[in-house]
Amino acid sequence: MGAVLQVVLVAVGSPLLVGMMRQVRARLEGRAGAGIGQPWRDLRKLVRKEPIAPDGTGWVFRAAPLLLAGTVLVVAAVVPLVSTTSPLDEVADLFAVVALLALGSVALALGALDTSTAFGGMGASREMIVLALVEPTILLSVFALSVRVGTTNLGTIVTSAVADPLAVISPASLLAAAALAIVTIAETGRIPVDNPSTHLELTMIHEAMVLEYAGPDLALIEWASAMRLSVLLGLLTSLFAPWGIATGNAGLLALLLAAVVVIAKVALLGALLAAGEVFMAKLRLFRIPELLAGSFLMALLAVAASFFLA
Amino acid sequence: MTETMFTLPPSLYVPLLDLACGAFLLTGMMVLWRRDLAAIVRLFALQGIALAALIVVLGVYEQDVELVAVGLGVGALRAGLLPYLMRRALIAGGAGREVRPVVNVATSLLVAAVLAMLAYAVAQPLIRLSPTPATQAVPIALTVLLVGFFVLVTRRRALSQVVGFLLMDNAITMTAFLTTSGVPLVVELGISMDVLLAVLVFQVLTTRMRAAFGGTDLDELRELHD
Amino acid sequence: MNLVGTLFCTALAICALSALAGLATPTRLRLPLAGLGTAGAGALGTAAGLAALLGESWSAWLPELLPLAGVRLAIDPLAGLFLAVTGVVALCAAIYGIGYSRDGLDGRVVQAAAPLFVAAMLLVPAAASVSTFLVAWELMAITSLLLVVADHRHRSAVGEAGLWYGVMTHLGFVAILAGLLAFAAGAGGESFDQLRQAELSPALRGTVFLATVVGFASKAGIVPLHVWLPRAHPEAPSQISALMSAAMVNMGVYGIVRVGLDLLHGGPVWWWMVVLIAGAISALYGILQAAVSADLKRLLGHSTTENMGLVLIGVGAAGLFAAWGNAVLAALALTAALLHVVNHAGFKTLLFLAAGSVQRATGTRDLDQLGGLRTRMPYTTGLFAVGALCASALPPGNAFVSEWLLLQSLIHALPTSGVVGAVTMPLAVGVIALSAGLAVATFVKAFGIGFLAKPRGPEAARAAESPPAMLGGMALAACCCLVLALAPTAILPVLSHAVAVALPGPGAVTGEVSLHLAGISSVISPLLIAVALGVAVAGTLALTRVVATRRVRRAARLWDCGGGPMSARMEYTATSFAEPLQRVFDNVLAPESDVDVTPVKESAYLVESVRFRAKVPDRIERRLYEPVLSVLTFVGRGARHLATGSVHRYLAYGFWALTGALIMLAVFQ
Repeated sequence: MGAVLQVVLVAVGSPLLVGMMRQVRARLEGRAGAGIGQPWRDLRKLVRKEPIAPDGTGWVFRAAPLLLAGTVLVVAAVVPLVSTTSPLDEVADLFAVVALLALGSVALALGALDTSTAFGGMGASREMIVLALVEPTILLSVFALSVRVGTTNLGTIVTSAVADPLAVISPASLLAAAALAIVTIAETGRIPVDNPSTHLELTMIHEAMVLEYAGPDLALIEWASAMRLSVLLGLLTSLFAPWGIATGNAGLLALLLAAVVVIAKVALLGALLAAGEVFMAKLRLFRIPELLAGSFLMALLAVAASFFLA
Repeated sequence: MTETMFTLPPSLYVPLLDLACGAFLLTGMMVLWRRDLAAIVRLFALQGIALAALIVVLGVYEQDVELVAVGLGVGALRAGLLPYLMRRALIAGGAGREVRPVVNVATSLLVAAVLAMLAYAVAQPLIRLSPTPATQAVPIALTVLLVGFFVLVTRRRALSQVVGFLLMDNAITMTAFLTTSGVPLVVELGISMDVLLAVLVFQVLTTRMRAAFGGTDLDELRELHD
Repeated sequence: MNLVGTLFCTALAICALSALAGLATPTRLRLPLAGLGTAGAGALGTAAGLAALLGESWSAWLPELLPLAGVRLAIDPLAGLFLAVTGVVALCAAIYGIGYSRDGLDGRVVQAAAPLFVAAMLLVPAAASVSTFLVAWELMAITSLLLVVADHRHRSAVGEAGLWYGVMTHLGFVAILAGLLAFAAGAGGESFDQLRQAELSPALRGTVFLATVVGFASKAGIVPLHVWLPRAHPEAPSQISALMSAAMVNMGVYGIVRVGLDLLHGGPVWWWMVVLIAGAISALYGILQAAVSADLKRLLGHSTTENMGLVLIGVGAAGLFAAWGNAVLAALALTAALLHVVNHAGFKTLLFLAAGSVQRATGTRDLDQLGGLRTRMPYTTGLFAVGALCASALPPGNAFVSEWLLLQSLIHALPTSGVVGAVTMPLAVGVIALSAGLAVATFVKAFGIGFLAKPRGPEAARAAESPPAMLGGMALAACCCLVLALAPTAILPVLSHAVAVALPGPGAVTGEVSLHLAGISSVISPLLIAVALGVAVAGTLALTRVVATRRVRRAARLWDCGGGPMSARMEYTATSFAEPLQRVFDNVLAPESDVDVTPVKESAYLVESVRFRAKVPDRIERRLYEPVLSVLTFVGRGARHLATGSVHRYLAYGFWALTGALIMLAVFQ
């Protein structure tokens, strides 16, 4: 029930989230903006176009968007956004969620390599490096979050955070939040790690990988990327600001209320992110390891704090 | 007098203390991350504020007016006067960046992580002596001490070196307040004078160095050797 | 003799017969006979191992077989696990080997040595006394050395690899010999039962442990004793590489677990700290070298170092937890480590066999020359993809399960393990995470560059699919990987019997579909993840079918920036793929590169040709081994003056030695 609601919410809402974030940026930069519904209109246009098979590509290239979307959908179903209980509780493990998202990135990178263009290789190579360097931070943040609870099950972590709201502002929790925020930015390809609106070969990561995709394939990728963004932002809010989430066997009304709350929280976080991006420049590729080393440091301190300050 | 003073409940005292310590630690770590010298001075000022806040929180909790006053004084010196002096030196020496530290930034951050773990491990016997929320924050002070030393060792510009030295001094001050609730006022005053003197010396030094070498890279001082 | 004994002895007998068949039969018959024999021995070994895992133990003493001590054999569940793993690897490799006869593999010596190698690897875990163990170990070393140098006539690198391997493996043997002999001397007996009951002083125990760990670590390819591994494993013929990399390295792990946890009953914290730190360094260093390697088999060899490092992190953690008195977590960590041994054996067999297929079809292992095999070798590509997925520890692969278990044991150690644990565990988790991330990048590179896109060299463009026997061997390995990935619960209960040999106690992992851990409330179900993923992908496919109305794909040119059609030279290569990584880690890797610019004669400003060379040397080898080697060379050169060729001089040496000994005797009596 909650899981279905979450999937529908993420599937329908995430292009709107992207539209909203673009709109916030546009307004802050003094432009009128295209409106919140523009990503949906783009998707509709792309879906109606003819599918393209670029010269020399094969099944890996075709399967990549499907696998990317599939992984995000599974994650959307298991991550506690609206409700902490999931019918797929055995999948709702933080490590599994992280690994599933990585699997999506891997699929896209392989699709990019399959095109045999230099752009594809470049994007795949960069994506994999960011992925490899992000991994320690993620797992250590997971570590910090699970020490208190004694499990890596997402539902249990969020439930305990709801039960003990003061624990959320403990140093361990704050440091882990900061580390995971940086990770989220890196994983979703936002400024300062990647620029979602660039097509300059010096700076592209994600866009270089999807350069050969067109029509429905591209629509699928755009949609999956938007879902990834909203799922990760939703996870961040659920872990560190879980107020309003439905716990236990909540009724329909409670679920709907929780849905409204989570939409508001994710929208707020998205707007903050977009506003922050206006004031930031993209980092050079070889400065990104410094940023990620910083986030690793914070995650490690979070673990240390969760043990030594306890 | 103490009866009239505002009392701080432990449920609020511990998070506030932790918050101040967290800010103190983060600003210290960020010094390793930033290259821009002006930003480093800003971070040092922020750390001064965190230190002052920490002392004030301790003072309010222990209902010690003198401690609160010392905290405000420390804040004025470390968040106000010293950064002001450094900024003047920076302008005189030409604003600049820590272009090529001896150890690169990413590695520095990882080293800082290891130093933090080391500090935590070393401080455990100290904490076991009297496990209060205040002494539990001693590892943070130790970490900043080590980070300050690391900055001193690996950064080239004169200003970063001074900031490294001042980080160490901040950390020592913090340890003193956390473990014994402060040193006598006279000693604190003496230390503050020393620190002030050091910064003044630095200000003179950078001006002279700039005149002599056209930069403030301390490795240039090797030329004086022959 | 019970079932285990019968199966085991039959397996050994078949190995001996296959070796005879390899020696005696004509070339045409040699391959199928020896291959089928080895496969049968592998299958029987697996069966014996599984039967032992299920609880049936066997032991035997054959006093006549070896002089002085006799041969003592015993198969308990721990030995059974390693028997089963070796058996399966041998089965897959032998089936594959029937179809793979190049690289000097159809020679008599090679065909006779391969079954003996398998027999030696079956004997090592079954040995139950010091002398039997050492003999089996040495047999394993010698047969594998013969196999490594099988192709020495055609490639010069093989000889060098054989030399490195021979020296390192014998140094390791010396360390094990010294350790076990000291142990046996202290215990007053050489059978493992006597060793178990021995009461030794802590100093002797520490010495025994350190010496044996050094020897076993050199077999497992642990840094800094790994230098032979990325040389010998790639240079050996591919099914031999699979046997070495998936089965032989496990014997190092077996030795550490057997001696450290079983015979010595665990030890102080510093022992296991040494093991854990060595494991962590190996994991990181191995995968970094793999990530920047452009040679497919060398990459796989480095990845073996990484995986053995991960296993040793688990073994070290198990020892630490046991030393801290946390039996439940210790069992969990050891379960994770042993499961990773099994998983690694599965995917590494598959990957090495697939790499052998590629080498057979294209004649090269250089990823920079490969590519485009997807259309020319579809089955090999698919099978390699399975192996790569498993090796990169992503769901639904098998390594994901064992790494998940390992991480669970580490992160839940914190509240009970004191300051040392609180500092060690987060760093260990960081190391595992970084090596997992780099493994993903490595295998995306190996698969994406090696198999996808367009051929980068003429050899890759002419590739053809391998014969059925080779595909069969690979498919069998892939099936094992899939079973391990989707139903680890099928093997975990029996694995706990093996764990109980080293760390007595109840099993750490239970559950039929999902994995439930003892004392930790984390749950995971690999099968459910796979099913959910399948449903989601199918749903997405259905959705796109419904929404997107135009179905027919139009072929189109690639985006070439308007510069004309793309050629294979414009593709990203393995080297370019890894270049950013190399830059990020240049402090560790210390890559070397040089650029030669040749100007044209008329003007220094016009360039005629540019040569660029880049190399990532093994830094540990350069810093640690080259100084030692140069000292040795220096000493050797000095020693040359002693041997001038004059017979009188040699006789004089003998004379002086004799009188010297007599003088000593007279003085000290």
